[in-house]
Amino acid sequence: MSEAAALDAPPASAGPRAPGMLRALGWAFTAFLVLYILIPVGVTLAMSFNGAAMIRFPIGDWSLRWYEDFFGSAQWIDALVNSIVIALGTTAVSTVAGVLAAWAFQRFRIPFREFWYVLIMLPLFMPGVVLGLGVAIAFGGFQIGDHSLYGSRELVMVAHSLWAMPLVFMLMEATFKTVDYRVVEASYDLGGRPVGTFFEIVVPMVSTGIVSSALFAFVISLNEFVMALFLTDRDTQTLPVLMWLSLRSAGTPRLAVASVILALTVFACLTVIMVWYVRQLRKTAR
Amino acid sequence: MAGRLAHVADCFEGDPKVSAAAAGAALEVERVRRAYGAVVAVDDVSLTVGRGEFVTLLGPSGSGKTTTLRLVGGFEGVQAGAIRINGARVDGEPPYRRDTATIFQSGALFPHKTVAENVAYGLRMRKAPKPEIAERVARALDIVRLQGFEDRFPSQLSGGQKQRVALARSLVVRPAVLLFDEPLSALDLSLRLQLRAEIKRLHDELGFSAIYVTHDQGEAMAMSSRVAVMNRGRIEQIDKPERVFHEPANEFVYTFIGESCRMDVRLENGRTLDPQGRPVELRLAAPLPDGAWRLYVRPSRLKIAGDGEPAPNRLRGTIHFVEFLGDVFRTHVKAGALELFADHPGRLQQGPGDVVDLVWANEDMKAFQ
Amino acid sequence: MTLARADSALAQAEPRPAKTSRRPNLAPWLLLSPALVIVLVFFGLPTLFMARMSFNLHIDQRLYVPGFTFEHYRTLFTNPIFTGAIWTTAQLALLSSLATVLIGYAFALLAWLKPARWRLLFIGLALCPLLISEIAIIFGWWMFFPKNGLLSYALVSSGLITDKISLMYTEFAAFVGLVYITLPYAFFILLSILDGIDRQMLESSADLGASPVVTFREVLLPLTRSGLLVAFSQAFIWAMGIYATPSALGPDTLWTMGFLIQEQMLGKHNWPLASALSMVLVVGVALVMILTRSLMSRQAAYHV
Repeated sequence: MSEAAALDAPPASAGPRAPGMLRALGWAFTAFLVLYILIPVGVTLAMSFNGAAMIRFPIGDWSLRWYEDFFGSAQWIDALVNSIVIALGTTAVSTVAGVLAAWAFQRFRIPFREFWYVLIMLPLFMPGVVLGLGVAIAFGGFQIGDHSLYGSRELVMVAHSLWAMPLVFMLMEATFKTVDYRVVEASYDLGGRPVGTFFEIVVPMVSTGIVSSALFAFVISLNEFVMALFLTDRDTQTLPVLMWLSLRSAGTPRLAVASVILALTVFACLTVIMVWYVRQLRKTAR
Repeated sequence: MAGRLAHVADCFEGDPKVSAAAAGAALEVERVRRAYGAVVAVDDVSLTVGRGEFVTLLGPSGSGKTTTLRLVGGFEGVQAGAIRINGARVDGEPPYRRDTATIFQSGALFPHKTVAENVAYGLRMRKAPKPEIAERVARALDIVRLQGFEDRFPSQLSGGQKQRVALARSLVVRPAVLLFDEPLSALDLSLRLQLRAEIKRLHDELGFSAIYVTHDQGEAMAMSSRVAVMNRGRIEQIDKPERVFHEPANEFVYTFIGESCRMDVRLENGRTLDPQGRPVELRLAAPLPDGAWRLYVRPSRLKIAGDGEPAPNRLRGTIHFVEFLGDVFRTHVKAGALELFADHPGRLQQGPGDVVDLVWANEDMKAFQ
Repeated sequence: MTLARADSALAQAEPRPAKTSRRPNLAPWLLLSPALVIVLVFFGLPTLFMARMSFNLHIDQRLYVPGFTFEHYRTLFTNPIFTGAIWTTAQLALLSSLATVLIGYAFALLAWLKPARWRLLFIGLALCPLLISEIAIIFGWWMFFPKNGLLSYALVSSGLITDKISLMYTEFAAFVGLVYITLPYAFFILLSILDGIDRQMLESSADLGASPVVTFREVLLPLTRSGLLVAFSQAFIWAMGIYATPSALGPDTLWTMGFLIQEQMLGKHNWPLASALSMVLVVGVALVMILTRSLMSRQAAYHV
């Protein structure tokens, strides 16, 4: 293109790179973005190493004191455990439900497709307050045997699935579309039954999709706090809920540590997934 | 060599040199119909594939050949008619209950399984014992000349290798009918010719029954026992390849198979007129009654005459341009609104702008009204 | 070992038209059942409950008393506290959605135009707010804005101002937090729309003599209009329902609907009123969604 411009008399006004001012703007904007997004992250990270009891800058005393405090506090550790357990449960429920539903949409003809699609996706667009309130009102008073549903982890898992399941469904719907249906037909053609084909042929082909959606479900549930606020009691409160309640009463660097721990949990999951993913790739493309 | 052939043929049930008439047909398609909304893809199609026969469905896109294949395989349901495999009615059955095996255009190999696992799949579904599976897989890979590729993954194979694995995967289960869904269309020319010869060789050695779908005439002519030319959901003609080529049943078959030059003329009171009403100098040895005619001659049968050469049929025109096609020189001639081309192995004396006579013999012309 | 089933009765019968679909298939419904149970039982039912609850009476300190009244809806639309809250929420949501879409669009453009390595970096950056809990985000800004926070410290120590400054508990802080949370969604929506556009269109526009700004205005903007609409409505819906961020970072007078719902539910134990507020929110969200979809379908589909 630049050759053509050299040959013709009037020079083209835009080359492969934008003119100077736009580029400067681009850089400035990028800098702004990086700052904007990383400020809370950086601040929290820094503050978690603050030795003082108050939250203030500058940080004079760097220490791991609050980390020790966090890991020594039963209340906070319990909250972390609650969060992880609930997140695992949510992941299991929503991944299974979402994957099966997405496959149903892909493989079968369903009457009134659009309606069922919108119905399944609907909770994803509802504010957390509304969902939390609704579940609390409808099921808060229920008793199964001895146990009250209110304050139970299982109820929170289901509430979180209201967001996680549609997300898994949406992601898997797109993933299943990329499956070469001829491969599925080949399996039937050679004698494979529908259920067997699904587990032996389809699932491995979409394994990365399933794992990514499961990861999203996990992260959503781990970080969610509004629904959990409505549905947990003192014994089952999750880490974000505890953090919120502590924020209202007193802010100490312990909160910063909690934020960091929460983020690290997510990061740990991500790393495990990435490692698994890389090993998968290496296996099929030697 | 003979010993090896026999050993290899062991993989396949039945005598390799069986004729179509023996022991009942492998496949019977009886007045089958399939429509999608208002479009009738397959319209009252019937055909029989005898044991060991290789039948090709040949036609342009939309002719219904692929749909017919999929009806046989069970991937679509018939709306009328019946399909029988080895005499038993199968048209209500899903693919996994039919004794067919399909080779798809893209190969459709299982990407996460090794070559060996791919080939073994059908045998596993039929619950064959493990040692038997291993042996048959090895022999199948042997037949398609992919020994040593057992542990590779499809992503590591070339297009031709993938199709050979697909072949092995379908051959190894010894189905009553093999179904080929345009398996060579996605490959480049030299690979296509190579694999075409492979498939023919395999058929000669193993004697399987097959339906082969393609839009490529060369493939159809080279590989088949019989060719079924399809158009708009119907079979126009089904016969041995040479008969289809030399004795086309109708205009569609004639124009679809091989190349032909077409003359749209109107005969009136001894004059010949082109579609725009201008007179052209056409002399026919066997005169035709008046009216509108479509005359066809194959370019290989059209000759540019020298002066005074005797010619039963003659058309005078002007050379428009000449193309070099590698094997032949194709001379494009215009006569009024008529455009024809003649193929000659050598360069002609005449060039663009020269007035020439195109001549041809009676038996080389087909006339339709 | 042959798989063809011998069916002698059928083989002797006349060829009859076979049905293309066999008996009504239960399989898809079985597969859909877990998802449907979740949606219908844990969302549908509660919504119905809430709808019913919003008409109940609220007397003294009891959570609710079964009955039927429009009193709560009337309160919502007449009591200035509530109308103010609805209005405030809408305003805040509108402003922050606008900002989110603008910043998100520029962000997505950068990611789309730059080579692969940069793109990954940008995507990683955009993922940050998603991977961090809302509470952690709130806390992060909570340490940035106040007098003793990082902002004040940075400005003072670099000599730009002399006194410590606090932007905490301001509407600006709430705005910043809100945009932070909704930005990734706008980014990913817009990026996926941009990915569907053929880059060569931009090149040919430049080739024909248009400056980058003109190319943007004439070519890119019209093609991405529907994406902008979707991103805006998504951000708006999210912002309408948000509760924690504005209440933690904004002034005490900044009452959002989300905050009020929570207050009526947990603080004042007035379930019917909380439900009424919820229903208004739900209906509002549904309306925005329907509006967006109808506006989108009216536009011609030259994209993707």
